[in-house]
Amino acid sequence: MSALISARGLSKRYGKQAAIDDISFEIAPGRIVGLIGPNGSGKTTTLKALLGLTRCEGSLSVLGMDPRLERDALMQQVCFIADVAILPRWLRVSEAIDFIAGVHPRFDRTKAERYLANGKLELSMKVQSMSKGMVVQLHLALVMAIDARLLVLDEPTLGLDILYRKQFYQHLLENYFDQDKTIIITTHQIEEVEHILTDLMFIRDGKLLLSASMDEVGLRYTEVMVALEWQAQAEALHPISTRSVFGKSVMLFDGVPRAQLAAFGETRTPSVADLFVATMKGRNA
Amino acid sequence: MKTMQWLVRRELWEHQGMLLRAPLVIAALMTLFVGVMLLSGRDMVLSINGQQATLSEAINGAYLSDAVEPQRKAGMLRMIASGYMAASAPLFLMLGFVVFFYCLGALHDERRDRSVLFWKSLPVSDASSVLSKALVALVVAPLIAIAIGTAMSLLMLLMLCSALAFKGLNLFPALLATPELYLTPLRIAALLPVYALWALPTVGWLLMVSIWARSKVFLWAVGGPLLTGAFALWASRAYELGWNSGWFMQAIVARVLLGTVPGSWLLFDQQQRAELLDQASQRIDLPGIFAHSWAMMGSADLWIGVGAGCAMIFIAIRLRRWQEDI
Repeated sequence: MSALISARGLSKRYGKQAAIDDISFEIAPGRIVGLIGPNGSGKTTTLKALLGLTRCEGSLSVLGMDPRLERDALMQQVCFIADVAILPRWLRVSEAIDFIAGVHPRFDRTKAERYLANGKLELSMKVQSMSKGMVVQLHLALVMAIDARLLVLDEPTLGLDILYRKQFYQHLLENYFDQDKTIIITTHQIEEVEHILTDLMFIRDGKLLLSASMDEVGLRYTEVMVALEWQAQAEALHPISTRSVFGKSVMLFDGVPRAQLAAFGETRTPSVADLFVATMKGRNA
Repeated sequence: MKTMQWLVRRELWEHQGMLLRAPLVIAALMTLFVGVMLLSGRDMVLSINGQQATLSEAINGAYLSDAVEPQRKAGMLRMIASGYMAASAPLFLMLGFVVFFYCLGALHDERRDRSVLFWKSLPVSDASSVLSKALVALVVAPLIAIAIGTAMSLLMLLMLCSALAFKGLNLFPALLATPELYLTPLRIAALLPVYALWALPTVGWLLMVSIWARSKVFLWAVGGPLLTGAFALWASRAYELGWNSGWFMQAIVARVLLGTVPGSWLLFDQQQRAELLDQASQRIDLPGIFAHSWAMMGSADLWIGVGAGCAMIFIAIRLRRWQEDI
């Protein structure tokens, strides 16, 4: 199937500073992509470029449209949740539903009302009187009621407690995600999303360090608990990171066959968080 | 069309305090004041054909009592019936301020509180968003003011006539039979096109500054034109350039800053201003104001302003595409 999103040579500068610097990637439909990077790495700028919310250079196609020229048409098929603060404070729940139902051809009002009925939100409540968790709940209910093909989440659970965070992703997977939908998530809470991701993109200083499916990551990266006697041989294969746990070294290898590494000790696929830290550190050195 | 209707409704939700509640409160307070004054029996001073008279004098004396010859009395009634909307003048003055500050914040506040990201995540074009705000400023807000003003003026007239009825002078049959009574609100409403066209450059300018300025919107919107005017004046004096800085102040600065005040067009044309001021000192001549106002439709000044206003709104639409949250 052809790519849902394809970006080639995407760049965005703020003055001399490059927020994103010549990045290219493709995202196929039906994937859940984690766009992961440290603060100020260009995650949000990349998402905004995909949504036509910021000017950028390079060629960009989202659902076959150029978001820079056709934002309003594109938004019939795309939904966006940013970190909690973007719903206007004066908006009532009922007004939000009425308005979106009025302007969005793919919004299902009964669906939104059903999602909301499960929570503590009442129709007369204003955003300003809600807790952060409730605002996100509202936004998620609104977005899930839209039959869109692409959902973009920019730090959706920032500032929420653990209960809301778990609930958020659970909702998303159980009631929203299916074969025809694609989700892009940026977050700092890698542990919470890693089990739902199908693809990974690491970004730093506006450059893409890694773009691979989780399967490819499993094939390419191996973490080995190296026994002391094998340490020297293992070092010779240039691990991208080494840390010690209970006196043993845990080494992370890129592109070394797992069978070869098995000789040194117990092997496993690294967690996304470990891989992320290793990738970021590795390139620093 | 449906989208535009929802966008306008959205604006009313957000700004109902400014657009709806504020004029209602002012109207209620004014009505209350008149009511208290009538109940306390305080005499109202009427200015009739340049002569001042208290209400009781008018009743007993030469103007409204039954002893007055019918023709003269009918003239008096016509005057009341065409002038009673003057009571809502404070509301229309307030409309000028409300529209000014509404436009100033219209495209700035949403960027400051980042809600622009939410609005832009919906399939609504920048053009419809900006145009809906211009529509609210130019048509919806004035319509609300006219509706509230008419209701309040009628209520006040009703109270006044009731008070007179208690004093033994029943004006209701005669007043209700005066066509002017019904025509007056329509005349005011018929000025709406003139208002919208005249306010267009101001609304366009304010919307443009609202989307363009990253902060200090008021300072840019007001300080910009004023400083330019002051500079033109200084440069013209200092270097004897012979620029007509007075013209600049009136044709540019005043047009982009004062256009939202209803009736400001009447002060624009110097000759007309003199004429109207002369008359205004004698009586409120609404038909005269009406005729003068529609005569503005034929002036080049108005249409040049309309062109400039449309251009600035167009620029605001283009700017909104790329302006990010701040």
